[in-house]
Amino acid sequence: MQTTSPTSRQDDFWPDFLRGVKTSLPLLIAFVPFGLLLGSQAVQKGFSIVEVPLLTGLNFAGGSEFAAVGLWSIPPAILLLAGVTFLINSRHILMGAALAPHLRHLRRWQIFLLLFCMCDEVWALTLTDLHTKPGRRFSIGFYAGITVCLYLCWVIFTFIGGYSGNILGDLTRYGVDMAFPAVFIMLLKGMWKGARNALPWCISLGVAVLVYHLLPGAWYVPAGTLAGILTSLLVVRSI
Amino acid sequence: MTLHIPALLAILTMALVTYLTRISGYLLLAGRNLSPRMKAIMDIVPGCVLVAVIAPNFATGHPADLLGLAATLLAATRFSLLPTMLCGVITTGILRAVLG
Repeated sequence: MQTTSPTSRQDDFWPDFLRGVKTSLPLLIAFVPFGLLLGSQAVQKGFSIVEVPLLTGLNFAGGSEFAAVGLWSIPPAILLLAGVTFLINSRHILMGAALAPHLRHLRRWQIFLLLFCMCDEVWALTLTDLHTKPGRRFSIGFYAGITVCLYLCWVIFTFIGGYSGNILGDLTRYGVDMAFPAVFIMLLKGMWKGARNALPWCISLGVAVLVYHLLPGAWYVPAGTLAGILTSLLVVRSI
Repeated sequence: MTLHIPALLAILTMALVTYLTRISGYLLLAGRNLSPRMKAIMDIVPGCVLVAVIAPNFATGHPADLLGLAATLLAATRFSLLPTMLCGVITTGILRAVLG
């Protein structure tokens, strides 16, 4: 599905890049303290100071990194870590599928590079942006702006957290951890398209909460998502 | 300032697994035309993923955390991202201090 792309797209890169940086700035409220927290926890668990940014820079998926630090041992249990990483990040498969139709005008190497950085926030902000104006095309500049800002922040602050140790103490005692669900709730608001979404989302949440109580580990993510998808199959059939 | 081989192997394995999850959704759907029904479903799926990820916040038994979450939800219906986050963080912080 190769289509001719308008030449004006190149000129939009830097304005879009700046727009992406601006859009992502509020997220730093969540990224900075969590980065510091992850870094200091990792070092306490036996990570060396070089291994911290290596983990966060190559993996760039916060949820699985916190899990990996929690399960870290010396020597590390590689299969266990790989399994848990897959469980937590399996949602990326669906996220990539949702983004795929918007990437058709790009080159393959660009796509594989972009997907390397597809964390929840980058992906959701991009999709929300695509939906705000009908007919808007996927913009590499916007995606890159968000990505560069969040990626650098994550790698740098996890490194600082590892380097400085536990300087901030446990910030989650004060309520900073609420920044994370707040980001997700705002992202959900951006995806809201009326009551049709409500039922699958509620089922997804309900099942995830239930599974979170019943099973150890990260099974609640795929279980909740799957329940939501099954519900949406029924809902969409009845339109 | 050291790098241990087992740790390096573990990190590289995790990175590979994560990258595979990121590209496989695209590879499965690349070049395929979705039916309108599939498109409608793919519009709903992202929210299902996000809501499942934050489920532990809803599953908590601490009243301060639940009230803080409710305040965040309420703020989200009226404000943009930054004020919503501040509302959520500050309200939760105060509630935890008061309710323990």
